[in-house]
Amino acid sequence: MHLLEVLNPVATQRGVLTAMTTTPRPASLDNKTVGLLWSGTHGGDVALKRAGEMIQERFQNVSVNFYTGGNYPAPPPIVKQAGEECDVVIGATAD
Amino acid sequence: MIEIEKMGKPAVPIVSGRFELDAIASARAFAMPDLQFVLVPRIYRNLAIDECISQTEAAIDDLIGILTSEIDEAREAPQITTTERFEGDDRYDAVQRMNDDFILRDWGDAMPLYPPTQEAVDALIEGTNLPADHLVCDMPPGFGLATVEKIAINSAMAGAKPEQMPVIIAGVKALSEIGDQGGKSLLMSTSPHAPMLVVNGPIAKEIGINPKSALGPGRDNQVNITIGRAFSLCLRNIGYWYPGHMDMDTIGTTRKFVHCVAENEEMSPWEPFHVNQGFKAEESAISVFITDGELDVQDQGNVTAEGLLKTIAYGSTFGTRSLGERHTSERLIFMPPDVARPVGAQGFTKRGAREFLHHNANHSLGKMIQFMPLEGEARVAANWKWLESHTEQERLNMTVPLLESADRFYVLVIGADRAKTLVMPSGPSPATVGIDQYIG
Repeated sequence: MHLLEVLNPVATQRGVLTAMTTTPRPASLDNKTVGLLWSGTHGGDVALKRAGEMIQERFQNVSVNFYTGGNYPAPPPIVKQAGEECDVVIGATAD
Repeated sequence: MIEIEKMGKPAVPIVSGRFELDAIASARAFAMPDLQFVLVPRIYRNLAIDECISQTEAAIDDLIGILTSEIDEAREAPQITTTERFEGDDRYDAVQRMNDDFILRDWGDAMPLYPPTQEAVDALIEGTNLPADHLVCDMPPGFGLATVEKIAINSAMAGAKPEQMPVIIAGVKALSEIGDQGGKSLLMSTSPHAPMLVVNGPIAKEIGINPKSALGPGRDNQVNITIGRAFSLCLRNIGYWYPGHMDMDTIGTTRKFVHCVAENEEMSPWEPFHVNQGFKAEESAISVFITDGELDVQDQGNVTAEGLLKTIAYGSTFGTRSLGERHTSERLIFMPPDVARPVGAQGFTKRGAREFLHHNANHSLGKMIQFMPLEGEARVAANWKWLESHTEQERLNMTVPLLESADRFYVLVIGADRAKTLVMPSGPSPATVGIDQYIG
């Protein structure tokens, strides 16, 4: 019988060491501004706009803002603008 | 989405099924492991409009639920053990069991791995002047902590030798210095982007990196292959470049068995590449390129510099371009001595050759953008919107420079005798890191 002991090649990720929790959710989307963040690829805009329409149908007084940075990942200024102007944000990379 | 969550606003991405593991891996890598996402069955990009709508409608309850409900269960990060133990009838059997287990966990490249024992790893660490716990960098795309010890463990699995360690360490460091976060987005792409390592300076000859027929299998390329394999395993187990998780390639490429070559400085008419990157000729350095394909450009009849370069310029025109504000694509050209020497002998400096290539590498814009429909496509930058008023045939008839400037042609002299040049679409610009600083 032979016992072989080897070292583990897998490294700890920086993201695990600095992990953050997600933001508390609102109980409802009534009176909220919903951001739709499009990466610019075919179909993603259609998906986001339909999602925005359906949320407006189901909740009261919902505003929808559409953002596109023309690329993936979305340029930081566009992401920042969406985060500042909206209460919640939905994204689609089309992947 | 994570950036928006960090701003204190709930965010949710819509993700297609094949990208579920990628979404989980990315959430962990980018420091928000519990980020929730909505799954839809198919990738939107290739769906008809009505299909885009129907699969979104089917997901709307999930979408609203994620935006309005707290997370039920946090995703735990996998625990990383320090050591792994394997029992076998004898050492050979134990090594076989280790290989079976490592490959099952996707820690290997599917070829037999050398066991990374403490002794083997210690021997490799002796090859550098750095301590085992020294952090070289956070390695993209998953940003694992690339300590000297972890680099040595993965190098041991590749069968590396101590004298190769400084090259491997510098290569890992160089990848982290490429473009936007070490070329993170390209490494995670659905296209076959892969690193290519090029070593310059005295160390190449000292440790036996082949500068001639440098990319194939076999005895002559043992060192090339071993260094490339060590880098590949680091990229996998430190950079988390696991297929289906953070490597989302559609078909893949054998270039992901990362290659390492040396420039053929002795047979080059020009200054070595690392000198162009700010190093002295007597220093050693490694450059990491990100390549996206390759083409053999043959020219066995030309003897004039202009003729040879025009052939390469034409050969470089395969591939595609975006309609972004800047065109950042590049070409990495491995030019064999039988091409480089006559070009150099007829008066072309390397800079002059790059300028000549740029002026002669022109192509149909319509073909380069692959007949893409422009209307409504947000990836068409404002400075290209004027194209919408032209017909497809007019776009096909427009000839534009292949690349933005001569700076985007990288010419390195590599290869054996014969006028056969290897051209690779590449980018973003390479990073070069000195090797001597890591020699023990």
